[in-house]
Amino acid sequence: METEECVACVDLRIPCKPEYVGVARLAILGVASRMKFNYDDVEDVRLAVGETCTTSVDWAQRNGRTDTVITLRSEIRPDSLYIEIIDDAGPRGERAADPDDEQDGLGTLLVTLLVDEVTVSALDSGTSVRMVKYARER
Amino acid sequence: MSFSIDTRIEGNSLPVMELSGEIDVYSSRQLKQQMIAVIESGSKEMVVDLTDVVYLDSSALGVFIGGLKRMREVNGNILLVCPSERIRRVFEITGLDHIFDIYDTKVEAMQGLGRESE
Repeated sequence: METEECVACVDLRIPCKPEYVGVARLAILGVASRMKFNYDDVEDVRLAVGETCTTSVDWAQRNGRTDTVITLRSEIRPDSLYIEIIDDAGPRGERAADPDDEQDGLGTLLVTLLVDEVTVSALDSGTSVRMVKYARER
Repeated sequence: MSFSIDTRIEGNSLPVMELSGEIDVYSSRQLKQQMIAVIESGSKEMVVDLTDVVYLDSSALGVFIGGLKRMREVNGNILLVCPSERIRRVFEITGLDHIFDIYDTKVEAMQGLGRESE
């Protein structure tokens, strides 16, 4: 997943809070728009990044971590866009059943469907989610 | 793009919630509050107009699902107006297009409920 040549890199750090997820979406929209992606591909990447950041925010809140950050790393590669989203939102353990959380699992499902590859790794202080979206002929 | 909600009562006491902008983890809190308020007011049917929504994620889907569950408990329904292919695609890839009644226009949604649009 990380072996291809990087043509350009764009990194961003945002507070792990709901009001900043839109900033990550806006940034990746700009990056993806420079790829050989069609409109749907660009929108898929934007939604996948939004969902991934939302999950980070959710876990930060569940773990009571208020002073955390999300790091978004994107690499434009010759035939793909590589994105890594790292948070220090704490461990992602078992979710307690929450009758008011109707979206539980939908975000993860969307990410899986929107990008071509997804790898989720637990870190000491949080989680890393790596995604790849391949460019196809327009 | 900012998010806004305009809730009106149309055709024979039918609440119509017109949403615009981006609905995400931040703005969906406001949406949830408004939707619960409408449901708790006793309405059994509601139209949610997504015509001017430019972005929608699972946070919004969660609010709609929660609202629909509450409505269905009283034999009610939430009808969605969603002419945007992009927004509708989010419902389709999650399979929620089989759960919600989705229309292209508000007029069609009102007709689906047997009501006239104002």
